Parts: sequence; structure tokens; C-alpha cells
Amino acid sequence: MADDEKLKGLGPDDKGKGTDAWDATQWHVVVKGDTLSKISKKYYGDPNLYMKIFEANKDILKNPDLIKVGQKLRIP
Amino acid sequence: MRSKRILVTLLCAVVGIALMSCASNKEPAAAAIKAAEDAFNAVKAEAVKYVPDKAKAVEDAITAAKGSFDKKDYDAALNAAKAIPEKVKELSAAAAAKKGELTKSWEEMSAGLPKMLDAVKSRLDILSKSKKLPAGLDKAKLEGAKSGYEAAVKMWDDAKAAFAGGSIADALAKANTVKDKTVEVMTTLGMQPPAAATATKG
Repeated sequence: MADDEKLKGLGPDDKGKGTDAWDATQWHVVVKGDTLSKISKKYYGDPNLYMKIFEANKDILKNPDLIKVGQKLRIP
Repeated sequence: MRSKRILVTLLCAVVGIALMSCASNKEPAAAAIKAAEDAFNAVKAEAVKYVPDKAKAVEDAITAAKGSFDKKDYDAALNAAKAIPEKVKELSAAAAAKKGELTKSWEEMSAGLPKMLDAVKSRLDILSKSKKLPAGLDKAKLEGAKSGYEAAVKMWDDAKAAFAGGSIADALAKANTVKDKTVEVMTTLGMQPPAAATATKG
């Protein structure tokens, strides 16, 4: 389950892999133990803002409680 | 006595021919200087804007040709002035190349910087609603980031106005300031700046 996944942010090498070197999108790759709340706490300090991340990733997420290891989430 | 007269006559003839030869270049020298000035004036505005050092070198060459003319050294004036149109051609090409280079850099930045500013605004909006702040960020830093973002937005407007006014070099300098400021704000907020923004300064 995603709840058991560990938090992990992207390192500098994880950025700029796309064709647009000016792309400023912030990404987080889901690891074991991650939940949207934990990710929200990591980036915003507040777990209750997890819906901001969900809204930004509606193209790949159907349910805020269901995230998968390896998923690449936009962090607005 | 007779041979002395002949010698003096010959000497006078040589000096006379030399003077006539020199004077005969007066009109061509004046025409060449005018042609050089006309050629330079046609490209001066762009040249001074994009390659000021090279423009000054051509301007100095014209001044030197005029100096020779004023000293009645018409040969030197003609020779100097005749070389200038070629220098003006090179100057024009250099100015066009520099303008192209600056325009390309501007186009890249004007496509990229709004993405950085948008990303920062999005993060600031969310952080403003956060009851706590993430590790490494406190209220003072957040306020500093907000001020930095606002300054960058204003500077970006100034850069766009400079470009619209035809000052590409000034626009680019301002855009670089925006880029540096935005990278600083992103770093403060724990965001990863885009690769292009952290590459060698343009």
C-alpha cells in the first residue's frame, strides 16, 4: 500500500529530463510509504493541503488515497 | 653654371609634379571620405547599439582620414577612406550577428521565465494557506520569497517593455536578473529550478 511507502523527493538529476529545459514543473516520485498527506507535509508543511496535489494530478490519480510506487506526481 | 640651372629646373619640375599629384587626389579623397561617412551613417544606429567597440573603430578610421585631409595629405586621406567601406560591411555583419544572438537568447528567456514565475506563484499561493511551513522554511524566509517574487515580476514587466522599445541588450540584462532572482526564490522554497536557469549565464 502507498501508506507504507517512504517519502522521497527528487534530486537535481531527476529534473530536466524532458525536452523543455525551462520546464519548471516540480515532481515527486512516489516511494514506499508515501501518501498524499505525507507528500503535502513534506512540500507544504501541512498534510491537510494534500488535495492541491491530488487536483494537480487528476490525469493519473482517480482517488487521493490510491497512489502507486513509481508514480511521478506534479507538486504545484 | 648651365648644368646648375638644369638641375634647379629639374628639381622644380619634380617638386611641382609631386605637388600636383598630391593636389590631384584632393577631390577623390573628399569623395572617398564622404562615401565612407555615408556608408557608416547607414549602419551606425544598429552598430553602436550592438557592437559599440567595432563602431568606434570605424568612426576613428573616418576621423583619421579627415585628419589627413585637413593636413592636405590627400594621398593618405584617400588610402584611409578607401579602406573604410569594407570595414563598414564587416561592422554591419557583426551588428546583425550580435542582434540575432541577443534576440535568440531573449526568445528562449521569454518562453522560459514565465514558467518559472508561474511555478513560484503556485507554490507561494499554497504555502500562504499552509498552517505550518515545511522543513527549512520559516515565516521570514517565506516573506522574503514573496518579496523576491514580486520584484521579479516587476522586473520582468520592465524587461518586456525594454524589448518592446527595441532595447534588446537591456531587456536581456533585466531578464537575466529576473532569472537569478527567481532561481533564488525557488531555492528558498525548496523547489528545483529548471536546468536552463542554472546553466551558464547567457
